[in-house]
Amino acid sequence: MSDTTLTAGAASAGATSPAASGSAADAPGAAATPILDVRELSVIYESAGQTPVQAVDHVSFQLKRGEFVGLVGESGSGKSTLGFALTRLQKPPARTNSGQILFDGHDIRELDDEELRRQRQGGFAMVLQSGMNALNPVRRIRDHFIDIYKAHGHVPRDRWQARSEELIGKVELPVAMLDRYPGELSGGMRQRVSIALALSLEPQLMVFDEPTTALDVLVQHAVMDTIRSLQQSEGFTAILISHDLGIVLESTERVLVMHEGRIVEDGTSRQILDDPQDEYTRMLLSHYADPRAEVVSLPGFEDRSVRRADGRSRADSATSAPSVATRGKRSAQAAIVVDGVSKTYAPPRRGEDPVRAVRDVSFTLEPGQSLALVGQSGSGKSTLAKMITGVEAPSEGRITFGDLDVAKLRGKRVRELHRDVQMVFQDPYAALNPLHTVEYILTRPIVNFTGATKQQARMRVRELLETVGLTPVEQFAQKLPHQLSGGQRQRVVIARALASDPQVIIADEPVSMLDVSLRAGVLALLEDLREQWGVSLLYITHDLLSARLITDDILVLHDGQVVERGDTAQVLQHPQDDYTVALLDAVPDPRRARVSA
Amino acid sequence: MSTATDSPRTGAAHLGGGTGGTGGTGGTTASGSRARRAGAPGGALKYVLQKLGLFVLTLWAAVTLNFILPRLMPGTPADAAIAKLAQNGPVTEATRKAIEAQLGIPKGNIFEQYVSYLHQVITLDFGTSYTFYPQTVSQLVSTALPYTVILVGVVTILAFVIGTLIGVAAAWKRGTWLDALPTLGGSFMSTFPYFWTALLLLFFTGYVLHWFPTTGAYSATTTPSVSGEFVVDALYHSILPAITILITSLGGWVLGMRNAMINTLGDDYVTFAEANGLKSRTVAIRYAARNAILPNLTGFGLALGGVVGGSVLVEQVFGYPGIGYLLFNAVIGQDYPLMQALFLMITVSVLVANFLVDILYGVLDPRTRK
Repeated sequence: MSDTTLTAGAASAGATSPAASGSAADAPGAAATPILDVRELSVIYESAGQTPVQAVDHVSFQLKRGEFVGLVGESGSGKSTLGFALTRLQKPPARTNSGQILFDGHDIRELDDEELRRQRQGGFAMVLQSGMNALNPVRRIRDHFIDIYKAHGHVPRDRWQARSEELIGKVELPVAMLDRYPGELSGGMRQRVSIALALSLEPQLMVFDEPTTALDVLVQHAVMDTIRSLQQSEGFTAILISHDLGIVLESTERVLVMHEGRIVEDGTSRQILDDPQDEYTRMLLSHYADPRAEVVSLPGFEDRSVRRADGRSRADSATSAPSVATRGKRSAQAAIVVDGVSKTYAPPRRGEDPVRAVRDVSFTLEPGQSLALVGQSGSGKSTLAKMITGVEAPSEGRITFGDLDVAKLRGKRVRELHRDVQMVFQDPYAALNPLHTVEYILTRPIVNFTGATKQQARMRVRELLETVGLTPVEQFAQKLPHQLSGGQRQRVVIARALASDPQVIIADEPVSMLDVSLRAGVLALLEDLREQWGVSLLYITHDLLSARLITDDILVLHDGQVVERGDTAQVLQHPQDDYTVALLDAVPDPRRARVSA
Repeated sequence: MSTATDSPRTGAAHLGGGTGGTGGTGGTTASGSRARRAGAPGGALKYVLQKLGLFVLTLWAAVTLNFILPRLMPGTPADAAIAKLAQNGPVTEATRKAIEAQLGIPKGNIFEQYVSYLHQVITLDFGTSYTFYPQTVSQLVSTALPYTVILVGVVTILAFVIGTLIGVAAAWKRGTWLDALPTLGGSFMSTFPYFWTALLLLFFTGYVLHWFPTTGAYSATTTPSVSGEFVVDALYHSILPAITILITSLGGWVLGMRNAMINTLGDDYVTFAEANGLKSRTVAIRYAARNAILPNLTGFGLALGGVVGGSVLVEQVFGYPGIGYLLFNAVIGQDYPLMQALFLMITVSVLVANFLVDILYGVLDPRTRK
């Protein structure tokens, strides 16, 4: 993927786009006019029967040729809306209601449909967030390339094969992938294919909308590396839209921070890192820390070892009050003992090997302990959670909770287990029935597990809402899930888990779908529940920073096996296994990247 | 057929299937047949063989059920015929003997009966009809079948093709009159009951305006043959029933395709195709419609399978001598041999149509071949 191959490819393709070669960015004439000049751009959402929402509010900025700029903001900040507006892909109810988008000096809002379509070759391209779904499931990868060549005629027919092979090579995939259907590729591979497709347009500007968000941690890291090296070798101007300030600071030279439809900060990555001007930027930054550091603290979380040494709880050290109501700790509690557990699934296709999801895992979760189970997807961590809750039975080994053998429970005894061991799920958007009010959602488990009367249940619902910090409770009790934010929904999910007054909470990636500013609150809630109520916590995650914050011990799982275990702070500071190191390296850390650069 | 009784219960169930040519979208069955995905290693041949195996198994089950159900009913067909005669006066022993000799009484044990039943099914020997005595069931069916298959079959395919195209256009031009007109019209027309549309058409274009013949599949003055004159006459007679079926079934396909397509239009691969500047025709047809049609195919398979059952109401109103007309008369006249043959035929054709759709699915959707 050297510059020579690109020039050869572009030249034979008859492309004349200036930005296709890296040198154009340095040309004196080209540098003078910005490639993109956005002036007072506003985008509004107008849904029938609802108050219009100004998603992008008078935004202005310029991009120089060859720049790699990050656009950061939390969900609802308008960053994706802006990205879609820049490439004129926004659809009703979104509408650009004022301002100009000058691409290479011409306002793209003025283009008619056919001009716009032609502009997409050699102009601006977009890589979507869910790149894995960006490919037509019934067409081969090759046909996707050919569709683009046919639409624009920028690659002569006799070069189709060679050009496709070249592009697929640029994103580090084997040529054989061209004959596959999208369904036969992994998520990371599909995202690479969609990057290659966008590249085939020889764009001057590429907009990457959360290109790695839906991917697994380690894959995320590799795809970002590819994007970075492509940007350098191909010399296109790029906008990287992301909710993750870490990723953005690590990759780009300049960062735009977006909040409530406005750009609140625009500066070089170093400026933003060292001297953030805006309150919101400072808040975002404060939620980043290196999980390997000696002392790790976030807003509301003093470092664990420091706290432990002083014998203080999270709430003592934080300025905020404990998020849970004080209550006596449980007296008699049981430990969960996982003893030599394996889980083997039947082969997905005949003739293949059986899938060994979990292999000979043993650990004990003591009452009041918090244990992290980390690993990438497919490492077996969720399968373990399913076995502990009795949803799946182990193929070998035994899981006991007190005197209950989890796999052998039937009928009433299963209820006992479920009363004491509760799950908090990853996706708060999917874990709540959209048709029921919060009150109803919480009443069900209360009545089912404790047999409370209507009046008692009503009281308990209010208590629970108070516990998880959803006040005023009367208001929240009547709400439907869609009226709540992601963080509030996850609190409802936790409240539901608490309804049966459990001894153990198994939290499966409880904050991975939440914005950073909301994560700390949910993590604090879990920590306080453990400290104040003595609930033990099995925290399943791929996010090592949060594991460092709220767990005492850690278990690193890889391919179903425990590759490393020990005290969380110890393991993360002095990892022994290569896999743990790889996981740690995948954590985006703006400071580390800047230091090495 | 020796023992030709069928319970009314199965009759009703099959009737439902038989009138399935109405162009419903078949949502539940869509998921059913998609869930039946091949789990075996790849290869088109393997996929086809697997589907074929499943087809043969289901076919055998259906045929066997058709054998068992009538035997769960008390009495013999002779008893039923005699009971019918007895309403008009006492039946003598000689008459009973004669009827029994004519209809036959079960010979041998249940296994021997099963073997002879299978033999009869394979040789298409379904016995003699009660209502159209002395014609055999096979004769009746083979006379009626071409009318139904040509009329209902052609119209069903036409309705699917036209409806799907309109649905694609409506979804693509969502929010314009090109969407509003077919969507409103489609919902409006598909709520018309068959017989009502049929009666309206019959009254105005037949009796008032005299544009079209009001009954039958051909004029009384012509005799069925393969001559050009007869074909023109038959086509002329089929116009009104065809329009009726088209009007009432078109809406379902339009709405089904429109809704499926609106879903795929929101899919990321469509947005990405637009972002890549593909021509809007390519995006609409090869990306959006190509994927949207997949779930509708199952509904189409069911509708095709239902073709053989004819369209009972339409054929009845227009006096059209197809399978639906036959079925109606068989039910009214408690003509068990005829009913049993028709039900078996309908079941088999639904199975065949589903099998064909499964194969088509394999061709159109690479995900099913895995």
